[in-house]
Amino acid sequence: MQTLVFTFALMISVAFGVTAQTPYQKGMQKALTTWGEDKPMEASNIFERIANVETDQWLPAYYVALINTIESYEEMDLDKRTAMLNKAQEYLNLAKGVSPSNPELLVVEAQWYISWVAFDGEKYGMQYAPKVAAIYQKAAKIDPENPRVAMGKLEWDMGSASFFGQDPAEFCEDLQKAILLYDNFQASEEFYPQHGKGYGLKVIDRTCNN
Amino acid sequence: MRKFTKSLVLFLISCLGFLIQTFGQTTVNGSVTDPSGNPVEGANVFLVGTYDGASTAADGSFSFESEETGVQTLSISYIGFETLEYAAEITAMNGLTLKLREDLNALETVVLSAGTFEAGDNSKVSVLKPLDVVTTASALGDFVGALQTLPGTTTVSEDGRLFVRGGDAGETQIFIDGIRVFTPYTPTTNNIPSRGRYSPFLFDGITFSTGGYSAEFGQGLSSVLLLNTIDEPVQNKTDIAIMTVGGSLGHTKLWDKSSVSFNASYINLAPYLVVYPDRNDWDEPFETFAGEAVYRHKIGDGLLKVYTAFDSSNFSLTQEDINLEEGLFFRLKNRNWYTNSSYYKRFDNGWKLDLGGSFTVANTDVTIIDNNIDNTEYSVHAKAKVRKRFNSRFKLAFGAEQFWTDFDESFNNPDFNADYGFNNNISAAFAESDIIFSKKFAVKLGVRGEYTQANDRFSIAPRVSSAYKTGKHSQLSLAYGNFYQQVGNDFLKFSPGLDPQMTQHYILNYQFSHEGKIFRAELYRKDYNDLVTFDTEMASFESQFGNAGDGYAQGFDLFWRDNTSIKNLDYWVSYSYLDTERQYQNFPTAATPNFANTHNLSVVTKLWVDKLKSQLGWSYQYGSGRTYTDLNRPGFLQEKTKDFHSLSFNWAYLIDQQKILYFSVNNMLGFRNVNGYQYANTPNANGQFDRRALRPAADQFFFVGFFWTISDDGTDNQLDNL
Repeated sequence: MQTLVFTFALMISVAFGVTAQTPYQKGMQKALTTWGEDKPMEASNIFERIANVETDQWLPAYYVALINTIESYEEMDLDKRTAMLNKAQEYLNLAKGVSPSNPELLVVEAQWYISWVAFDGEKYGMQYAPKVAAIYQKAAKIDPENPRVAMGKLEWDMGSASFFGQDPAEFCEDLQKAILLYDNFQASEEFYPQHGKGYGLKVIDRTCNN
Repeated sequence: MRKFTKSLVLFLISCLGFLIQTFGQTTVNGSVTDPSGNPVEGANVFLVGTYDGASTAADGSFSFESEETGVQTLSISYIGFETLEYAAEITAMNGLTLKLREDLNALETVVLSAGTFEAGDNSKVSVLKPLDVVTTASALGDFVGALQTLPGTTTVSEDGRLFVRGGDAGETQIFIDGIRVFTPYTPTTNNIPSRGRYSPFLFDGITFSTGGYSAEFGQGLSSVLLLNTIDEPVQNKTDIAIMTVGGSLGHTKLWDKSSVSFNASYINLAPYLVVYPDRNDWDEPFETFAGEAVYRHKIGDGLLKVYTAFDSSNFSLTQEDINLEEGLFFRLKNRNWYTNSSYYKRFDNGWKLDLGGSFTVANTDVTIIDNNIDNTEYSVHAKAKVRKRFNSRFKLAFGAEQFWTDFDESFNNPDFNADYGFNNNISAAFAESDIIFSKKFAVKLGVRGEYTQANDRFSIAPRVSSAYKTGKHSQLSLAYGNFYQQVGNDFLKFSPGLDPQMTQHYILNYQFSHEGKIFRAELYRKDYNDLVTFDTEMASFESQFGNAGDGYAQGFDLFWRDNTSIKNLDYWVSYSYLDTERQYQNFPTAATPNFANTHNLSVVTKLWVDKLKSQLGWSYQYGSGRTYTDLNRPGFLQEKTKDFHSLSFNWAYLIDQQKILYFSVNNMLGFRNVNGYQYANTPNANGQFDRRALRPAADQFFFVGFFWTISDDGTDNQLDNL
């Protein structure tokens, strides 16, 4: 009889033990894993579902905006690209509502504009270039130690400078400094963005090691 | 003990039952298709308010488990489609077949565009980009100059204003942020083109409609030009410009919720005229001081904008005149103050409110030989507009507005004095709805009512337009509308009770737009009625005025733009054919007025040369001859001048990210254009009337400017100011 009681008790604790991870954590974990499996749009859908429930969290909406912005770079059909960027903008606005003046959101906003510039430089270059520069400027003021801010800003400045005939290699010293920020960066909450180092190393490799 | 054990077991069993109940899984499954029944992959299907959901597979199917019970709402969303919500008992959510509806806000939807050219980043039918306004070679930084390269406009180079489809310049009405501008052009005299009064860099959206426009806009017979000021500047900056004709200084300052921009400029043509004298004998060369400021403040979901501009110009000169051996003396002093405020608010339930008002004080002192004419105009426009978007298929807008104008003029010469003027008050209300039947077919229905106080007249103007998509990138539009406009100040001041003039527009438009290529063709017919008439050589107190005039204009416009086929080259070609006649003012018979011609052609090219860090621009304009009356032969407006040609060139060189050197020359090939002829009042000894060709004051114009921007981040520049 005692065994029976013990078994039941164990079952209950196991049942509750599983649920000790909150649905938010579980959902975010699953979404990040899905993204890691190279299924970005499916991951974006999961983040979207979480964002619709957890309206006081900025991270799910941030990831929806980030994924749609990143994926838009590959989309060469204007209508589809516009639709993706509109979606990114919608979720960026949601995230900004929860967490205003967040440097990570500013980085996505800058990338959102850069996607348009990359798509049609002639049409959007002159119009959005000052915006991108201003957004990075603002983000760097808020958090100069954020590696994604530092790398993004450097990459943008480098692009502008090389357009005006400056050698991008002049930026190498700053790039090397910025990449170190990834190792020292302390995430302030769970699921905080971690990405960017691999890409940063590629930029350095391309610019400085030829 | 036994009893206790039993109850404990029961308790635990009931707990377990509860747990089983809680973790009871229901499967939700089904498939998602588009309107034609094809499977949709990657749609997001989930229960609202939960984490439970899935993405659809390649065959459109989805399946997921949920612990929820009772009635739930299933949401299905996918880019390009309207989000679908389906509520039902969760246990019934299996084997569902869900069909998504097209999202009619998506880009591919048909656009109501007959007659309208837009320049702006958000516009779906953008023909000119904001930057084009200032980088078109012939435009000389004047937004009106850039619009003159679009079809539907007529080259009247000595005037500088917009003449649209057989209409005179007064038939185009200009609005800033939806609020009327009463005195949009700088004042000038014969044969010296005027310019738009407001600097182009304060605007980020320009809509130019050559007919069939929305019921929201009235008091324009031919055309409306809508300018929108920038909502949110990007950063703090200072702009400095040093030019051969003057200089300007601008500054933008941003705060958290508000920002202010101001710009001051001083133009003086004296040094230029010393180097390149023109055909006029200048006593005081053209001099103008202008200041503009925009203040923007965000209030919650609303935005308040206050725009104010002041300018003061003066000049005096003696112009050659066939009837006056000593020439015609002309002096002008003008002061103009314009303030415009607008407030925009968006409400949660799809309602939007726009409020706005403008106030103008314009004071002009003119001396012609020994006649002094001083006038002052006070004008006010107040407007309220409400918009409601019911869904992506039905939108409604309505509003009301009021115009007040008080115009006073005094005329003095040694023999005669007179004071006169008028009040012109107009009340109007409008309502308009957009009905989007499908991605392929949409209709806009509008009506506008106007009441003119001076003659106690009420008019109703219906407006209809529809658009049908003929292919993935092309569409056909039809528009019809009635348009009323009060007679201009030049006549109203002598006869304040004149009725409004009227036109009817019929427009058929075809548009193709794909990957940086745009082709438009537009066929139109305009009927004029109630045009102003008078019976003397010049309009004056002696004249008998009436509204007995009428006329027509018909023709077609073609436009082609391509910025993708050749790398770094952007070009457009506009051609307009116009057939128009009218009998109005003091015309003895119906005739083509001298501001209208049959053929107009513009070719504009812009080439970016990476190596030179330069943009090179050419612009060629052709206009067939314009009518004039040859007094030595019978008839009225029976002759035509020779054709007009002009080739202009500009070169913008980016010294670095913040410094631009700009050079331009108008009519670089030096075509000797003739705008018309002036005939002597009396015949000469042979019984013939002598005549004098009206040539531009100067055949060519050179301009050199240096533009420097100082900003926080060091990357902004003034390319869009040029």
